[in-house]
Amino acid sequence: MIMIKDLNVWYRDNKILDNINLDVPRNVILTIMGPSGSGKSTLLRAINRLIEIYPGVRVEGEIYVDGVNVFKARTEDVRRNIGMVFQIPNPIPNMSIFDNVALGPKLNKLVKSESELRDIVKWALEKAYLWDEVKDRLKEPAAKLSGGQQQRLCIARALAMRPKVILMDEPTSNLDPVATNRIEELMVELKKIVTVVLVTHNPAQAARVSDYVAFLYKGRLIEVGSSSQIFTSPKNELTEKYITGRIG
Amino acid sequence: MARLIEHPLGIIMLLVISIVSVMIIFLIIQSIPILLYRGLEFLTTSSWNPVKEEYGILFALGGSVVVGLISVALGAVLSISLAVFVAEISPVRLRSIFVTLNDIGAAVPTVIYGLWGLIYLAPFLYDYVMAPLSTFLSSVLGVPSRPGTSIFTASILMAIMIVPFSSAIIREGLLSIPTHLREAIISIGATRWELIWIQIKMVKNYIIGGLLIGFGRAVGETVAVAMVVGNVIQPEFYKIFLPGYTVSSLIADQYQNAEAYTYMVSALFAASLFIFIVGLLANMVGLSMVKRR
Repeated sequence: MIMIKDLNVWYRDNKILDNINLDVPRNVILTIMGPSGSGKSTLLRAINRLIEIYPGVRVEGEIYVDGVNVFKARTEDVRRNIGMVFQIPNPIPNMSIFDNVALGPKLNKLVKSESELRDIVKWALEKAYLWDEVKDRLKEPAAKLSGGQQQRLCIARALAMRPKVILMDEPTSNLDPVATNRIEELMVELKKIVTVVLVTHNPAQAARVSDYVAFLYKGRLIEVGSSSQIFTSPKNELTEKYITGRIG
Repeated sequence: MARLIEHPLGIIMLLVISIVSVMIIFLIIQSIPILLYRGLEFLTTSSWNPVKEEYGILFALGGSVVVGLISVALGAVLSISLAVFVAEISPVRLRSIFVTLNDIGAAVPTVIYGLWGLIYLAPFLYDYVMAPLSTFLSSVLGVPSRPGTSIFTASILMAIMIVPFSSAIIREGLLSIPTHLREAIISIGATRWELIWIQIKMVKNYIIGGLLIGFGRAVGETVAVAMVVGNVIQPEFYKIFLPGYTVSSLIADQYQNAEAYTYMVSALFAASLFIFIVGLLANMVGLSMVKRR
């Protein structure tokens, strides 16, 4: 589903990502884990070309998403097909619950009628396990929701564009354990309809939800494998040190 | 209260507050005679004839409102554009230069704006805007005359003067939007202009607040307006190509002779009381909008 070939990213003179090669199969959860500063977020943001909005960033290499070379496509089209969820639950504060979810389909002109828009918003909220909690107050400001609900709203916002891939950048790091648990269950459910690339610095979370795990350290991809292989018999010493908590 | 008096800085604060309060009380007391003498006619008629002790400031109130409204409407367009340019479009490296330039605009003494307005802006507007437009709009806007001093010129000058303030407030609003929110909007496929539009809606309170503060300034500004508004008692204040008065320019223009007449001092105080209330309200509502976010 995603193919990353010889990816290098610089910020000014610093090399942030060093020759990354990574394949992500369809409908799985692949987790990129690593200590902070290892380049996880940069790698995630390279996939939807979000990293390029920052001045001083230079990207080299190839990334294919569903067969399309993202560096040859229009950035808006690339991002439309790739949903993203962030560390801090960030619905647009002055918009209603409904409008937050409807924003993507509206901007990208994915719907032809109001009823079609309502259907897609409902569908996305259902898929994000939020519909039952908000169906009677869709017009209320999104800021009124709890942190966990806001994060599920952000997942719904990403889903509403019917993307093929969803990128999640430490989506539970600002949530309590109960809300974290719900998001993790949701991720596992979501891989039926999308491919999920998750970034976390929490090896336990990676072990709970992932099909595949990639370990990133100081901008280099140290090891990739199935979740069970990485957590039971890592091939690289650094990986073992990381999952056993000796580096981090 | 006791602690305030004990601390030297507390005493200074109390002193400042009492001076302002005494000023306001003084303003109200001084306004009473003319209001008793003329009643509501003071506000609803357009006459200013000290010899006959006739005072009605509708023409000046109207001038102030027209200058305030036009300058804010025009200032809105200019200051939003400028704020968007500085916060969103200009390269980050140049941003601090633009911010400084913008803020210098707010620091220029108003008399310089006034002088520039009188010598350059008024003739320019006369030649290129008022004279051409008045050939077919003179019945609505009035027939302008050289050197172009008019309500319209004052409005344009005020728009230019409030832009540095309003745009600084709007700019700070835009810059306060967290990066992750911008990333979120971009990540759902928003183009640059869609991103800007969504952000403008997010800082709506800053925009309204910035413009209300600008309105307060436009209504209260004296020197620059007095230099370009023409200072003519003109009951048809809505004919903006004609010279006129605003309340503040009326006060600045008339105070020298005030002591010679029975009610004129009181009339000027009452006029300033109204302009003070309008300006204060605009500022207070504006500031609360900015703070509410």
